[in-house]
Amino acid sequence: MTSSQADFAVVGSTPLARLLAGLLASAHGKTVLFLGESHAAYRLPQGIDLSLAPITRPETWFLLQSVMPESLKLIARIGGRGTWSHIDPLLVAKGEEHREALAHVRQMALGFGYGAEPVSRLPSGVSGEGVLLRDAVLLHRAALEAKLDQWLTAQDVRKVPGSDGLVLHADGSGEVSVEGTTLGCNRVVLADDQAVLQHLGEQLPLLRRQQSSTVFAAGVERSRIPLMLQLDTALSILNQPGRGMVATGSGSILDVAEQLRLLVAQQENFQPAGQSSFDTLAATDGAPALGRLGDTAVDVLAGLGPTGAFLAPAIARWLCGSASSTEAAWFEARHPMRDTAASPVAEIGAQP
Amino acid sequence: MSSRSARLASGEKHPFHGQVLDRQKPIKFQLDGRTFSAFSGDTVLSAVLASGVDTAGKLHNHPVALTSSHAPSIVAANHANDPHHALAMERTLVSDGAEYLTWGHRPVSLGLGALMRQRGRSLGIDLASSKAMSKPWLGLPAAQEMQADLAVIGGGVAGMSAALAAAARGLGVLLVEAQPQLGGSSRLFGRLDGEATPDEAIDLLRLQIEQAPSVTVLTSAEVYALQKGKLRLHAVGLEDAKPSIVDVSARHMVVATGALERLPVFPGNRLPGVVGALEAFELAYHYGVWPTGPAIVATSSSPAYRLAMLARDAGAAVARILDSRLAPQSRFIEFAKAYGITMAAGTVVGSAGAAAKGAALSVSPRLSTEGLPSHEPPLTVDRLVVCGGWQPELTLWHIAGGESRWNAELSRLEPGGVVEGIALAGSAAGWLTRSACLASGRSAVAQLLGEKPIAVQESLIDPIYDTPDGPAPVGEAPQEGGPSAFLDGSRAYLVRPFAAVKTRPGWLQFNSPPPVWSLADTPHPLELSAIAAGVQLGAIPAESAGIVARERVQVVPLGGAASAALDKPQTPFPPAYLGGRYPGAELLVANPVEPRRLNVGALVYATADESNPLHAIGVIIRSQGEVAVALVNGTPGATVFCREPGRAVAIRLVTAYRDGMDLAAALGSGAGAP
Repeated sequence: MTSSQADFAVVGSTPLARLLAGLLASAHGKTVLFLGESHAAYRLPQGIDLSLAPITRPETWFLLQSVMPESLKLIARIGGRGTWSHIDPLLVAKGEEHREALAHVRQMALGFGYGAEPVSRLPSGVSGEGVLLRDAVLLHRAALEAKLDQWLTAQDVRKVPGSDGLVLHADGSGEVSVEGTTLGCNRVVLADDQAVLQHLGEQLPLLRRQQSSTVFAAGVERSRIPLMLQLDTALSILNQPGRGMVATGSGSILDVAEQLRLLVAQQENFQPAGQSSFDTLAATDGAPALGRLGDTAVDVLAGLGPTGAFLAPAIARWLCGSASSTEAAWFEARHPMRDTAASPVAEIGAQP
Repeated sequence: MSSRSARLASGEKHPFHGQVLDRQKPIKFQLDGRTFSAFSGDTVLSAVLASGVDTAGKLHNHPVALTSSHAPSIVAANHANDPHHALAMERTLVSDGAEYLTWGHRPVSLGLGALMRQRGRSLGIDLASSKAMSKPWLGLPAAQEMQADLAVIGGGVAGMSAALAAAARGLGVLLVEAQPQLGGSSRLFGRLDGEATPDEAIDLLRLQIEQAPSVTVLTSAEVYALQKGKLRLHAVGLEDAKPSIVDVSARHMVVATGALERLPVFPGNRLPGVVGALEAFELAYHYGVWPTGPAIVATSSSPAYRLAMLARDAGAAVARILDSRLAPQSRFIEFAKAYGITMAAGTVVGSAGAAAKGAALSVSPRLSTEGLPSHEPPLTVDRLVVCGGWQPELTLWHIAGGESRWNAELSRLEPGGVVEGIALAGSAAGWLTRSACLASGRSAVAQLLGEKPIAVQESLIDPIYDTPDGPAPVGEAPQEGGPSAFLDGSRAYLVRPFAAVKTRPGWLQFNSPPPVWSLADTPHPLELSAIAAGVQLGAIPAESAGIVARERVQVVPLGGAASAALDKPQTPFPPAYLGGRYPGAELLVANPVEPRRLNVGALVYATADESNPLHAIGVIIRSQGEVAVALVNGTPGATVFCREPGRAVAIRLVTAYRDGMDLAAALGSGAGAP
């Protein structure tokens, strides 16, 4: 028996999922269930949350730029010190195709007023071309997650640890049983790749599943670069003082470990401290997939990459029908049932 | 404080006289320029500990004990800084006249201060910055290869049983043991009625192994990488103390790595003078090492009582036994009563600190029941022997891809799932008694060979008479500035967070919230004992303990399994990420009005005043000298503007671009040609 009915159920465990659930409740007055685990304090990360990324589409830069003040203000208010920091990520490209893509990213960043400087001297072990993006914001998931959970409670968001028991209905609604009580919701939002994969499995016409891995290394000589994003391999390497080096990218654990090992100056100091392998989603045109997915009528948010959390205010508006025309157009163009044959939203990583 | 000998007197009446020592062969060696006395049979670690050096160094101004799981890597002085010659202190037998350095040691001239420190009880390592506690061989490739039909990792009773079972089936067996001798840890646990003594059982197995020609034994060899069909180990030669990294190929593997002893979590739990019960037993049994002065034992497991009695038999002073269990029962406890040892049930170590003078430690007991006032006067002792129960050693199992899950009743991670070609045996598989461990060795071999399963039965004494182990005791939360409460005895130095000190009334809104305790950011592998402690302290949910254990184990790639590089499909031109960006755009050859090279990615605008990327009409996508290809909504002959940093550059659109076109030649043929 359904004992309560919420407007939304947001499923996921990323900062985006949490921010979205809280915003639906606080900014839009919706009743919200949040179905997700709180594991950032002890599990290895499956990605990073960064306000800038290797993006080539001007409308995406514009959306990020326009929503960023709102996002940062919200995150700073919820999380306070220690949950985010400014950082200058280094984008690196080796192959010709990706060096060209990097040049496009740089010009787009400059066009929108961001600092984007070519780097003449890359860190030891890194070859190709590099561009340093200035003043990006990096979220610290482990610290932020606890604060976001407190915030969700304060916004009367009902938290359910995990979504194993979630049942999806054909009209996009769903229900979940918690300790003998059935909690219903009018609209289910699968807010990260893991949530989409868990609940929709192979029903993903546009999205392809790909193996990704995280490798955590200790004992490596600390690079002067805190964050490096490799365009050719989609590898991110986060290097924080006293916290080791975290590499996340597509491929098996051995693939990512080998890429990381090649970048470590003193290889005898390379000491793996953890690793995990997981599946992620990518649209064939390399762009995000956002919206109701075909027969299921469930809302999916997939393939957003590192900037997803910073788009949360815009996504919440869009889900509630109050998005600006510019925002609505951006989401509509990235609908998960779009034709990707000649995609007008294709990004780096598109598969021809 | 000066070091003093920690070697028990020899004597056949007690088992703690150092079973592997030849006291007729005294030898001397040097470590970091300091001369140590030893006996033939000593390891470098046992000899150093026997000399009264019980401190590895300091971490954030607090000394940390030197133990088998927290000993620096060493290297022969003539191979300093060569990782290929790095040795494990606890697995290296000393030889007369040898000179060793701790890994990364920088020789300094010996001034008066240095000479004074030479007599101290510390190796003097700066644990926060030194490389000495690393294992330099982990990143190196193997220099040798071996093959076997079946490899057994762990030379305790279960491992020896498995090796003999495999040999009986005609298989070539490699038996690998990390310690310099076979036998494992079962001696500490005594025997049940009707069983042979541990020494008798182990001696018999060792004899059978010696007589089995198809079993090759490799001792002082630590396996640190394992995958289906292959393992990698670091071995130290018993005769020449030379290290080697060996890859072993074997179709079948038995992991019989025993159990780890949990460290009770209290402030000061790794101060010099604090030692685990199993480590204390093995140091005393094999090497006769037991520091002089009074000791107390704090435990949640009954075999620690047996250790106390054996120590008494050897002439050591054991003043008291603290037991976290409320009303423990055990045959060992009854015997200990007969020894007249004072016992305190329902009591844990709240904290430990350095004693004011004389003795090593000041130990503050407290009741194990939460919420009761429990301040007891501190005890001043030279040694605190602690035992927090046992965790199956599943590290290699996890490295090989095995799963595990938390058993709340026994407060431990237990193995789950199946790994093809690999089987667990003995305490690693969760078995408790010697008979079960022996049977599990045989069972593991039968399982690997696809034979009829061999039943393993655990014959435990009724809990009424033999209280099961309690969870690892947890003492006070550490205070800022005081000694740390480590989660385990490893080199990762994971500590319980300091208790928040309220400096303002609790109702004030601006009280700082406690910092988030994140194990995810800890730049070290997480040992199983630390994960178990994390579960007990609420930092890791029990249901996630198994996945965390798998994620945070140290996997050293053995190669050969990385994905083959995918054939890259032909990249379209222009690239897909420019598709549909500029409606009506075509590829045109472009030429700047003033000589300059245009940047790829530079945006093209219809007017010089425009700079909003959303209003761009095109983009430069290829540049060759002073000629470029632009994807632009324009017509040949038109002048448009390219936005370079700081200013707009006029460019002429020359002609339509065709694939393979000579751009320089195109300049002279187009409508925009000068």
